[in-house]
Amino acid sequence: MPKPRNAPDVVIIASILALLTIGVIMVYSASAAYSYDKFGDSFFYAKRQMLFAALGVFLMLLISRIDPELFYRWAKPSLWICFALLALVLVPGVGMVRGGARSWLGIGAFSIQPSEFMKLAVILFLAQYLTSNARENQTLTKGIVIPLSIAGAAFALIMMQPDLGTGTVLMGTAFVLIFAAGARLKYLLGLCLLGVAGFAGLVLAAPYRIQRITAFLDPWQDPLGAGYQVIQSLFAIGPGGLMGLGLGMSRQKHLYLPEPHTDFIFSILAEELGFLGAGTAIILFAVLVWRGLRVAIRVPDMFMALIATGVTAMIIIQAVINIGVVTGSFPVTGITLPFLSYGGSSLTLTLMAVGLLLNLSRYTK
Amino acid sequence: MSMPSNQVRRRLFITLLVGLFLFAGLLARLGYVQLVEGNWLNDKARDLWTRDIPFEGKRGRILDRKGEVLAYNISSPSVLAIPAQIEDPAKTARELAHILMAPEQNIYRQITKKQLIVRLQPYGRKISNERAQSILERRLPGIVVAEDNRRHYPQGSLAAHILGFAGIDNQGLAGLELVYDERLSGTRGHVSFGANAKGERLPGGVDRYTPPEDGMDLVLTLDKNIQAIVEREMDQAMAQHDPENVLAIAMDPDTGEILGMGSRPTFRPDNFRNVDPEVYNRNLPIWRTYEPGSTFKIITLAAALEENKVNMKEAFHDPGYVKVGGARLRCWKGGGHGSQTFLEVVENSCNPGFVNLGQRLGKEKLFEYIRKFGFGQKTGIDLNGEAKGILFKPKQVGPVELATTAFGQGVSVTPIQQVTAVAAAVNGGELMEPYLNKAWKDPETGEVLEKTKPNVKRQVVSEETSKKVRYALESVVARGTGRRAFIDGYRVGGKTGTAQKVGPDGRYLKNNHIVSFIGVAPSDDPELVVYVAVDNPKGVQFGGVVAAPIVRNIMYDSLRYMGVEKRKKQIPPEKIPTSQPIVTVPDLIGENVSRIRNSLYDTPLQVSGKGEVVINQAPKPGERVEKGTPIRIYLGDK
Repeated sequence: MPKPRNAPDVVIIASILALLTIGVIMVYSASAAYSYDKFGDSFFYAKRQMLFAALGVFLMLLISRIDPELFYRWAKPSLWICFALLALVLVPGVGMVRGGARSWLGIGAFSIQPSEFMKLAVILFLAQYLTSNARENQTLTKGIVIPLSIAGAAFALIMMQPDLGTGTVLMGTAFVLIFAAGARLKYLLGLCLLGVAGFAGLVLAAPYRIQRITAFLDPWQDPLGAGYQVIQSLFAIGPGGLMGLGLGMSRQKHLYLPEPHTDFIFSILAEELGFLGAGTAIILFAVLVWRGLRVAIRVPDMFMALIATGVTAMIIIQAVINIGVVTGSFPVTGITLPFLSYGGSSLTLTLMAVGLLLNLSRYTK
Repeated sequence: MSMPSNQVRRRLFITLLVGLFLFAGLLARLGYVQLVEGNWLNDKARDLWTRDIPFEGKRGRILDRKGEVLAYNISSPSVLAIPAQIEDPAKTARELAHILMAPEQNIYRQITKKQLIVRLQPYGRKISNERAQSILERRLPGIVVAEDNRRHYPQGSLAAHILGFAGIDNQGLAGLELVYDERLSGTRGHVSFGANAKGERLPGGVDRYTPPEDGMDLVLTLDKNIQAIVEREMDQAMAQHDPENVLAIAMDPDTGEILGMGSRPTFRPDNFRNVDPEVYNRNLPIWRTYEPGSTFKIITLAAALEENKVNMKEAFHDPGYVKVGGARLRCWKGGGHGSQTFLEVVENSCNPGFVNLGQRLGKEKLFEYIRKFGFGQKTGIDLNGEAKGILFKPKQVGPVELATTAFGQGVSVTPIQQVTAVAAAVNGGELMEPYLNKAWKDPETGEVLEKTKPNVKRQVVSEETSKKVRYALESVVARGTGRRAFIDGYRVGGKTGTAQKVGPDGRYLKNNHIVSFIGVAPSDDPELVVYVAVDNPKGVQFGGVVAAPIVRNIMYDSLRYMGVEKRKKQIPPEKIPTSQPIVTVPDLIGENVSRIRNSLYDTPLQVSGKGEVVINQAPKPGERVEKGTPIRIYLGDK
């Protein structure tokens, strides 16, 4: 292993801290009414979000100093552990059901979502696998079938919870890694067709997904039913205008948007801080794409490059889907916005993933 | 340790571009939603954030020309539910159902609707103040009692077809209520407050009160008393002749103001739901079209006079028929009227005489006048459902059509067209636009906001011609077919009509006529035109027998009510066996009763009271009555 050439990328650190700051403020603003209504304490969510942000930043900095060699070694074991946890969470009585999906492990507030960790485990494993078989990445079996099967198995377990959002991010990330590692384009094209067919199959299997899709195409068709969330979100974003209504002035957070501090936090951001505020958040994500893939391109090692790619891909796919959903550009999928949405498990994990990225940024040329 | 290949680097670069492209797209989409669609979304969302409790504006009243109320509002609240605010739907439904005497399930279903505001239909609409009060006393969360009104028509079925009626939301549905709905209804106001999705008040939300604007009061040209006379006579005619229907119009010929108008069968506006729609949708005086019959001869006469084609003293011989284009058109009187002047032709309503007038005019001129008098087009009265009638097209008119049109067959007209046309013939020649809306008044101050001016459509004939027509018509009543419309001193002119009805097969029905009479009075300066048509009366089917007395009664009571002076000069009525001469009532007041008995042996007396001296009498001294009319004397002691 080479020695680190430089300090962690400050641009990444700065944009992460900026996003976290926006996130904590918006979680407070968005959840104040809701959490007061529910817990009698308007700071309930904001306090927890700050706690997890602090914990996450600590873990991020810790991970950014670990020898990357260890990641290579941990890749396989962490995958198996995650598979075990994913299987465990499906057992009734062990896994806890929240929001219609059995995806939580643990007791009360101290609970985790194994599917979040699985995303990271899949990135580590694929990076390791695709590096160790670098010469055979052009083949169908080692370049596509095996890596995809591993990711597919994880996806299948996640879909049993069910959690289409996390599953989509995981498969998307895996696809980017396989693409980056040099799989042949004609195989990838076939894979795309297969993916479209598979997605269509999933949609047809669960009727509520069809409703969500039609709702996205024309939310006004059924404004109180399937189109409700999209319309409520647009009612927040639209009136925000250029400057927004002002911090804390959101009207849509008053119980119109379901849980405004999680999936729909971006809508409240756009409503209160306007196009300037929400646009800033989008630009910060774009900066992450640029700096993250810059790391991937500049590191001297294939394994490092793939990890940097995977982490960046995971974050941006999730952000793109979330913002796409709330602005009415994609069908409604339950997915949080990295760094901004309330959620301890996902925030901690995302920050740990950024820790990997920062770690690798020390080796760029 | 393996270096990433160039291919890998290339692919990473592509990934970077795709990622940046995606975010650029999201930024564009965000900008579109916020900066382009923003205002539109804001407007749509405002309905969501605010809860409006409606306050209805009061619908304007409808008044007659003297200010008598024909339609007004009774306070009658409605119950609204805001489902999000209802805490215990089951209990709320139970209590409401109890008060409103409604099925509980119906109420429950409505108050649990996923809607911002629900009007409880139909049980919660227009409830009594007592029920509203007892709902308010329960203080049910999410249940609001809003001010509302119910339309009330205090005169029952009086002028029903003209007034029409308003529906449950106080929206005009028929008649003037519909025609002037916009101005009568005013605008709805509301109280709105910001609310969260539960319908609870938002902190800092400002309540806005937008007051409702009351509708204006509509003053009609109708006179309630004249209308009541018209209605009474129509009821009388229904009872006496048992016809299919009756219609009547009373109009001021100088202005076109409708003073009274109606038809049978009729309905009560507040009960329209239980009435056959055919009854309230067919406003016969403006909707019905039929062959007018002889009343149309007034038009032919006026045209011939205006064109100087006839002198009323000119002689004409009627053999009882006239041959036109090979067809033999008979006079209504078998054997004909023999030798007569043209004045007598009019008096006798002699068909061959009018055919002759039609021929003198020629088809161009005759039809030109028919159109100028307003036939074949709507009169423009401010009601819906007016018909145009049908005239022969110029190309279709041959000698036979010309001849029949001259005496009122083969054309199809509405009653209102006939009334306006005859009014034009007698008012000095001006065709008026008939109307009902006399003025708009401010409901608060009573100030007149807008007044309708009489609308002269055109000068059809000269004052000279008009005068001759009036004389001829008075003569018809004094000496001709219209005798039964005669009223001493009021100089009634008129014309009978007996029109054949066309059956479904296009042929004339047998023994099924519309008999009509159009009357004008007083003939020196007409102030009233009255038209009555009775459809298929049982018994004698002749306009002079059936319709003329009805017009007479309407005329007599209306002219007296209007305070029209009795005239001294008039065409003396021809003595016919059935009519008594007119005598002046002697002054008996102060006379000794035994002396009267000796001197007035040919006058029947009816005595009231006891005593020797007459202290009062009816009719009053100087009034003119038919000979033989009993005089009631009231006796007392000096």
